[in-house]
Amino acid sequence: MLRPSRSLTRYLPSFPLAQHLLLHCLYRKLLPIMGPYDSGAMTASSSSPGTSPSNFDGLLAGAGYIWRSSDLQKVAQRLECLENVVVTSPSDVSHLAVDGVIHHNPSVEASWVDSLLSELIPLVPGSESCSAAAFSDPHSAGGSSSPCSSLNPAAVIATCTDQSTNQHQHQSQQPLTVVCTDAEEDSGIRLVHALMTCAGLVQRGDLSLAGSLVEEMKALLTRINTGRGIGKVAGHFVDALGRRLYQRVRVSVTGVGFEHEILYHHFYEACPYLKFAHFTANQAILEAFHGHDCVHVIDLSLMQGLQWPPLIQALALRPGGPPLIKITGVGPPSQDGRDSLKEIGLKLADLARSINVRFSFQGIVAFRLEDVKPWMLQVSRNEALAVNSIMQLHRLLWSGSSLDLVLGWIRNFNPNILTIVEQEANHNQSQFSDRFTEALHYYSTLFDSLEACHLQPHKALAEMFVQREISNIVCCEGSARVERHEPLRKWRARLVDAGFRPLNLGSDVFKQASMLLTLFSAEGFSVEEDEGCLTLGWHSRPLIAASAWQAELQGNSQV
Amino acid sequence: MAEEQKKLKFCINDHRDVLVEILKRLDARSLGVAACVCRLWCSITRNDALWEHLCFRHVSPPPSGVRTVVVALGGYKRLYMVCVKPVLSRLAGAKIGSDGRGTGGGGNGGDSDLTRRVWRRHGAQMSLSLLCVDCYERLGGRLGDASASSLMFLCEPVNF
Repeated sequence: MLRPSRSLTRYLPSFPLAQHLLLHCLYRKLLPIMGPYDSGAMTASSSSPGTSPSNFDGLLAGAGYIWRSSDLQKVAQRLECLENVVVTSPSDVSHLAVDGVIHHNPSVEASWVDSLLSELIPLVPGSESCSAAAFSDPHSAGGSSSPCSSLNPAAVIATCTDQSTNQHQHQSQQPLTVVCTDAEEDSGIRLVHALMTCAGLVQRGDLSLAGSLVEEMKALLTRINTGRGIGKVAGHFVDALGRRLYQRVRVSVTGVGFEHEILYHHFYEACPYLKFAHFTANQAILEAFHGHDCVHVIDLSLMQGLQWPPLIQALALRPGGPPLIKITGVGPPSQDGRDSLKEIGLKLADLARSINVRFSFQGIVAFRLEDVKPWMLQVSRNEALAVNSIMQLHRLLWSGSSLDLVLGWIRNFNPNILTIVEQEANHNQSQFSDRFTEALHYYSTLFDSLEACHLQPHKALAEMFVQREISNIVCCEGSARVERHEPLRKWRARLVDAGFRPLNLGSDVFKQASMLLTLFSAEGFSVEEDEGCLTLGWHSRPLIAASAWQAELQGNSQV
Repeated sequence: MAEEQKKLKFCINDHRDVLVEILKRLDARSLGVAACVCRLWCSITRNDALWEHLCFRHVSPPPSGVRTVVVALGGYKRLYMVCVKPVLSRLAGAKIGSDGRGTGGGGNGGDSDLTRRVWRRHGAQMSLSLLCVDCYERLGGRLGDASASSLMFLCEPVNF
């Protein structure tokens, strides 16, 4: 899982190479296979195949670090073992945290790690067999001869059967997973390696070197299968990096417009994330509307309104009969002159009429959410109000005041419930390479889960949808970068600051989400509960989080 | 002789209500087979009421007031064929109550019946929701394909 490696990076010296090595550990799935990494000529450029007899790692040499690849492996192994120990250690190992130490010499690094290991191992009971969680490769379960899975941390196998990290010992063990062809895996790992290095270079401002690295990566890409797995994800990231470096005019992929709606629709159908979002929010809203005769839902991004038919139907069937339903949908102006919001409203009204529900709709046209004024929404006093935001609030984070503005007027309405669904990722960090790393992890997990879908054209278009998010995160800056995802804990802090208190989503919501999952043929999805919020993830890495909120009561509760 | 004559005179097709009661207890595949017997049986099996019984047979208590909604959204037969059948078969296949994937229910034999019934009720509700989305998509719009694309994932083969 991703969390162990994060804990480890906290304790490592603040040195980007250590992170590279961790990735090296994580993505080389099988310790016994040292061969290809050793024997391959470690040149970065494919045009000069035989020019590094000294076995220096060419990619790192380009970045200024002269390390032998064999040394890399030793340190990588030790780091792997260290990671195991840190994860399984019951006691707090924070006393080992080191800050500001820079190691350039691998032998120094190795001995430092060794000293850490020797300190830690007495702390962990039974650590003589610091055995690991061996996860079976999700793709091998699928049966096809798949190339190596993308950067799925859950596929890490780390076995240190005893404290000696002797590689010969490992070779005698049975291999734990099916692995793809050696050359391909080798290229895949080197690609990841190169991506991280390039991100670091971009952050440092070394754009010419970054550019040449991008060319090398494109060459590497021709050698691996870009149809699936790590090749596909890496391909998108390499493209995005290339665009960042070479495009003069940054096309801001802001995620509005007719194309975006189509891609969104296909993303809805290819994988369960949006369905989970809609159904979870609907169930929470349904519970909040209990007993009210006049209800009003404000949708901060209507799209095609796919969320609302089930809510209308559920309200129609509730004991006591349906209330008067009002839906206010916010959307961008449509580019081809049609009034798309009105069309969606008419469709919803059609549906509501066919099941005998009193319904009214109003559409608010706004290019950005901060342009919406509260008076436009026509909220009246004697109705129950729900505000629903599916992956919209993070777009407001580029300026501190925008989010405060929007949360302010939401809070002033004192809604019965505010449902928020956001991507569970940390893509809004100030440092570019941190964002890049996080995005690489997140989107490779997401692409892994998309592999499970076999419906074309939904799958291909869903991937395009995701690829636009990647482009936005990597290429754009400032107000153009709208995909500023933040994890649930940060949203909690922000919402509490803005005067909201969390509502528990409840067991019915959880059951419904689990039910939704059983309908999807892929077995990797999991719903988890996180302090009253629900997250949907792939192989226990949460990818999307749903939560519900209410305005905090104040002394003079005036609306 | 009189008895034999009485026997010969009995024909199930004369007793339509009894026939309906019998056909109500069949499963979907048998209903399909029954529809091929004769015109009367065909018209009876096309009757939505039979499918209503099929959809909510295992749900206890059956949801009330559903009929108008379902009829408006496409009818019970569509509900069954497109939503309920795959939902129930997925539920039957998935180890309900015993897998760790967030079922939240108890695993022992005593609860399993209750769990199964609870799941079927949730399954019925979910089927209704999915049918609603399906109907909404078929209302047509500028996205072009009027086919129920959002339910295609239910047609996927499942590997358990």
